[in-house]
Amino acid sequence: MSTTTEQHQDQDSRERDRREEPPTDDTLRHPWALVARRELATKLVDRTFLVGTLLTMAMIVAFVVVQAVLSDRVKDYDVAATPAAATVADAVAQRAPSLDDGVRVSVSPVTDDAAADAALRDDKADAWLTQRDGNWVLIGRDEVPSDLEAVTATVVRDTTLAQNASAAGTSVAAITSGSELKTDVLVGNAEQRNFAQGMAFALAFLFYLSSIIFGMTLAGSVVEEKQSRIVEIIATKIQVRQLLAGKVLGNTALAVGQMALYAALGLIGLSFTSFGGFLPSVSGALGWFLVFFLVGFLLIACLWAVAGALASRTEDLQSTSTPITMLLLAIFFGSAFLDGTAQTIVSYLPPASALLMPQRILEGTAQWWEPFVALAILLAAAAAVILAAERLYRRSLLQTSGRLSMRQAWATPE
Amino acid sequence: MGQIETRGLSRTFGDVRAVDGVDLVVRPGGLTGFVGGNGAGKTTTMRMVMGVLRPDAGEVLWNGRPMTAADRQRFGYMPEERGLYPKQKVADQLGYLAQLSGMPRAAARVAVAEHLERFSLSDRAGARVESLSLGNQQRVQIIAALLHEPTALVLDEPFSGLDPAAVDAMADVLRDRAAAGVPVLFSSHQLDLVERLCDSLVVLARGRVVAEGTVESLRAHGPARYRLATGGDVGWVRDVRGIHAHDVDGGTALLELVEPGAEQVVLREAVQRGPVHEFTRVIPPLSEIYREVTA
Repeated sequence: MSTTTEQHQDQDSRERDRREEPPTDDTLRHPWALVARRELATKLVDRTFLVGTLLTMAMIVAFVVVQAVLSDRVKDYDVAATPAAATVADAVAQRAPSLDDGVRVSVSPVTDDAAADAALRDDKADAWLTQRDGNWVLIGRDEVPSDLEAVTATVVRDTTLAQNASAAGTSVAAITSGSELKTDVLVGNAEQRNFAQGMAFALAFLFYLSSIIFGMTLAGSVVEEKQSRIVEIIATKIQVRQLLAGKVLGNTALAVGQMALYAALGLIGLSFTSFGGFLPSVSGALGWFLVFFLVGFLLIACLWAVAGALASRTEDLQSTSTPITMLLLAIFFGSAFLDGTAQTIVSYLPPASALLMPQRILEGTAQWWEPFVALAILLAAAAAVILAAERLYRRSLLQTSGRLSMRQAWATPE
Repeated sequence: MGQIETRGLSRTFGDVRAVDGVDLVVRPGGLTGFVGGNGAGKTTTMRMVMGVLRPDAGEVLWNGRPMTAADRQRFGYMPEERGLYPKQKVADQLGYLAQLSGMPRAAARVAVAEHLERFSLSDRAGARVESLSLGNQQRVQIIAALLHEPTALVLDEPFSGLDPAAVDAMADVLRDRAAAGVPVLFSSHQLDLVERLCDSLVVLARGRVVAEGTVESLRAHGPARYRLATGGDVGWVRDVRGIHAHDVDGGTALLELVEPGAEQVVLREAVQRGPVHEFTRVIPPLSEIYREVTA
C-alpha cells in the first residue's frame, strides 16, 4: 500500500515540475508546426531544390530580357495604300523615323480596296491605310501594331488639318472634324486579350509544374518515413493527423512561396517591357490566382500525401501517384483548350476550378460573384478531401508490405 | 515511477489471432524480458502497448489507469524495424525527435549534445545518418529512444545486430535506466542474455502468455532434478520408487523427482553401494524451461 502512495506522490511531483517549465515553445502544443518546420528546414538547405529555384528564376529573367530586347528593335512596316491614300501614306513613311525611332514605314501601292484587302490577308502588308466615310482608318490583319498606330495617327491628324485649313472659310472645329483616327481589325483579337491569354497559359504552366514538383516532394517524404520506418516512432509521439497536417502545410507554404516569388519576378520584369501598361488590369486576377492556388494546392497536397502513404518504397510511388499526375495533366490541358460553356462549368469543378476560375477572371469572362462561389465549392471539397486523406493516410502508414490500393487502405483496421 | 500493465490484450489479423488475451506487468525499477518464437505475438503486443496498433479487445494501463497518448509521448520506443531519416544530420534529427517527445528546443539541444558525448558520437553530430556505419546508426537509434529521459522503455529486439561490445554497452544502459526507476520491457531471441539481464520474464507462444515471473521462480518451478555420479554402475536407480531415471550412463545418472523425499532414498542407497562422487540438484537452464512451456 505504502509503495502505491509513494508512486502517486512521485508522479504528482513530476507533473508539477513539468507544469513549472516555462512555456518557451509553441510547438509543444502544436506538433504540426514542428513537423512543418522540419519540412521547410530540410527543403531550404536541399541543394537540388535551391538550384532548381535559382534556375527557374534565371529563366524568367532571361525571358523578360529577351522580350525587352525584342521591343527595342526597329520594326519595319509595310502599309498598303490605294492611289487615293498615297499622299497621306507617303507622309507617314517620310515622318515615321522622326516620330518613333523604332518604326520604319514603307508604302506598298495597290490599285484598289480589294487588292489592299488581299495584300493584308496574304501577309504582304502589315496594315492598310484608307479613308471610309470621311475618316481615316488603319486596318490590320489580326492586330494593328500600337507603335504604327501612334505614328500614323499623328501624321493623319496633321495632314488632315492642313488640308482642311487650305479649304478656306471653315472653323477650327471643322478643321479638326474627321481628323481622328479609328482602328479596326479584320480578325477579332485585341492585343490585351492576347496578353491575358499568354499570362493565363504561363500561370497554368506554373500551377502544373509547382503541383507536380512539390507534390512529388511531399509524397517522397511520406514514403521516406514509411520506408525508413521512422514513422512508427513518430506515431508514438504525435497524432498521425498532426504529422499529415505538418507535412501538407509545410509543403504548401513552400509551393505558394515559390510561386509568389516567380510571379513577382515575372511581373517586375514585364513592367520593363511594352506589356507594362497592361499590368494594372491583371493585378486583381493575380491576387485571385494566389488565393485559388493556395486552397487548390492544399487539396492536391493531401492527395499526394495519400499517394505516398499507399506506397511502401520509393519505387511504388510511380504507380500510386499516376492518378494524380493524370488529374493535373487534365487540368492543365483543360485550362489551355476549354472555352465557352465547358470552360464556365469546369471553372466551378474542384480541383480544376483552382486554375480555371482565376483564368476566367484574367480573361474578363467571369462575373464578380463567380470566384466567390467557386472558392466556396473548392474549400468544401478541400475539407472533404482532407478528412478522407487523413483516414487513408492513418491506416496505410504502418502497412509496410507492398503497395496498397485505395480501397484496401480505406478498409484496413487501425 | 510508473508501471505498464496489459489486460486481456487481443488482436486479430484476418483470421490469425496474433495476440490472444495477453496480461502482463512491467514493473518499475527492473528489466522485463519478453521472449517467444517468431510469430508468437511479441511485436504486435509491443505495438499495441505503444498505441501504434489498436487492440481488438483488452486495455493497456499506465499506473493503473488507461494509458494515454500523452503518457506514450514520454516513453522511449525502439520498433522492431529500425530507421531514421537517412538524409538528415544526426544532431538535427535527434533534436527533432526530442522535441516531438515534448522537450523544449533548448533542452533538446543540450540533451542531444550530452547523449552524443556519452555514446562517443560527438564528432559525427553534423554527419548525415546514411553516412554512418551500421553500428553507429544503431547507437543513434538507441539515443533516439533514451534522449528525452523517457518515463518507460519499450524496446523490440534492442540487441539484434549488435556486436558483443555493443551488447554490453546496451545492457549497461538498460540497467542504468531500470535502476533510475524506469520500467523496461524488451524482447529478445537470445535467452542467455535475457537470463543474465532480466529481473522478470514473460514467455509468449502463439499469442498467449505461457509463463511469467522472475527468472529464479521460473527455473525453480521447473522439474526437480538431481545428478548422481558414483564409482560403480548406477543401473539400480531405475528400480527406486518415486524417481524417474532420465539418463543413465555407467556411473552417472540424471534423475527426476516424482515423489518428494525419494532423492534421499537414492542417496542412502548410493552411499551403501560405494563411493559417491557427486550428488547435486540440477536447476534447469532457462532455455529448457522455455522449450517446455512453448512446446
